[in-house]
Amino acid sequence: MKNYILFVSEAFWNTLKGLWVTLKVLFLPAITVQYPTEKLVPYPRFRGMLAYDAEACIACGMCVRACPSKCIALAKAMPVPQQELCSSSGQPVSPEGKRVPKIEWYTIDYGRCNFCGLCEEACPTKTKALWHSLDFEAVFSTREEMTRRWKRGDDLWGTARRSADGQFSAVADQIHIQDVPVRK
Amino acid sequence: MTQESSTALKTGQMFINFGPQHPSTHGVLRIALTVEGEVVVKADPDVGYLHRGIEKLFEARNYSQGLILTDRLDYVSAMPNNLAYCLAVERLAAVQPPLRAQYLRVMVSELTRIASHLVFFGTFSVDMGAFTPFLYAFREREMILDLFEMLCGGRLLYSYIRVGGVSADCPAGWEEKCGEFITFFKPRLKDYDTLLSFNPIFKDRTANVGRISAAQALSWGLSGPNLRASGPDYDVRKAEPYCVYDKLDFTVPTGKTGSCWDRYYCRMLEMGQSAEIVLQCLDALAGTACLPAGRELPPGEIMAKGVPKILKPPAGQAYAHIEASRGDLGFYAVSDGSPTPYRMHVRGPSFLNVAILQEILAGCKIADVVAVLGSFDIVLGEVDR
Repeated sequence: MKNYILFVSEAFWNTLKGLWVTLKVLFLPAITVQYPTEKLVPYPRFRGMLAYDAEACIACGMCVRACPSKCIALAKAMPVPQQELCSSSGQPVSPEGKRVPKIEWYTIDYGRCNFCGLCEEACPTKTKALWHSLDFEAVFSTREEMTRRWKRGDDLWGTARRSADGQFSAVADQIHIQDVPVRK
Repeated sequence: MTQESSTALKTGQMFINFGPQHPSTHGVLRIALTVEGEVVVKADPDVGYLHRGIEKLFEARNYSQGLILTDRLDYVSAMPNNLAYCLAVERLAAVQPPLRAQYLRVMVSELTRIASHLVFFGTFSVDMGAFTPFLYAFREREMILDLFEMLCGGRLLYSYIRVGGVSADCPAGWEEKCGEFITFFKPRLKDYDTLLSFNPIFKDRTANVGRISAAQALSWGLSGPNLRASGPDYDVRKAEPYCVYDKLDFTVPTGKTGSCWDRYYCRMLEMGQSAEIVLQCLDALAGTACLPAGRELPPGEIMAKGVPKILKPPAGQAYAHIEASRGDLGFYAVSDGSPTPYRMHVRGPSFLNVAILQEILAGCKIADVVAVLGSFDIVLGEVDR
């Protein structure tokens, strides 16, 4: 009986000590971020949704080879030879006329993407043609939508396949995280 | 009356499936329990619900792609997985990472250890019926995840440690932020002790529960804090120092009785030691501390020179093991000279730790099953691979 009372009083005293720890925190500013209305902006190295620049891409396929889950596919297109820049042998005469392969189409299957960043590291162009943006708010409602496709002239976010008719259309409601209030 | 009760109350053994959907298993672990009243007679841990065939997947990827898979083993502390894999591959390919990368590796490993033990602290307290410590633990863990996000872009799956070094040097202001975190974190350990560790209710619930003797722990191949709580002072960081652990000053906390509380408190003490190691690494990176050999850390050099993009190690085999957050994590790599490993085996500490459950759960009360299981801090991603 005596031991029991000792235990209860000790437990009570320790609970009070624990409550003192929590009381000290009570008057500190809250660290909770009210997510849909308040947003944290990730740090610059954050690996979010992939952004792709179809104009900068040279269609070398390094990202395809680097990807561990083989979620990237592309088809290259050679530019139309510009006759006025070519000599009679068909070789380019000026560096501007160099025949650099360009992209025909480029797809990323987000259903398999690891967000590991190896494709971005492998990209050899000076200004990266493929990079992880800070966007972390991607939503897919069907598997078809998880495939993003880019063609020349598309913006950085590409087009997503609509599950209704299987056609590619611009990504709706793509949120640009840079527009939301900055990190506290 | 007496006749009625004698026919109605038939005692017998009952079979209960604990998991795989039970919230206290922290994943998809099934324990087949045979109980007699409140007492567990027989317990059979059943693993394999999260099996993804990662060891086989290594064989279809080259060495830099395989690194991505290691994150998915013990996803609560992914950095040590990267490190163990890279050490094995580096041993295979005879690559020596630069010193600065080694300090960064040790630092992120120890930060991960803190983050991982904080998850243990939070979830174990929730298992034991205390919710407040969980919130405290995740507040601190969030700061570590922020540090990792600044450093490598990942918050859970880092792929930061690469074969031959690390993927990036610390960005501007990272070291200061890390130092701030450690100064914030060290007094918090006292708060945790007040909140939970020495609370008599918590101690009553965990001390003398699920006791493992030192001989039992050794014979079942336990490692990490689970082993050290029983007394044996085995830590790979001390026994076979890798990276720069031989230059760092830290102690390995051990327990005495091997009870749930000892396993818990071992991790609490380890967090303090990890914080000390991080501070020492920060000093070394900043160049303010005199390094033992009097060497200066070359700034900025974080990758070994001459590591090809497609690594083709010579045919052979290598084994490297480290002290991960959950114990002795080893990678065994076999190369046949091709860009992909011929065989990659993972010695996951969680898998070996979960085996002893069948011995120590027998004789426990049902309510203690959660306490014992929680105190082992297993991650099912590593158990099943």
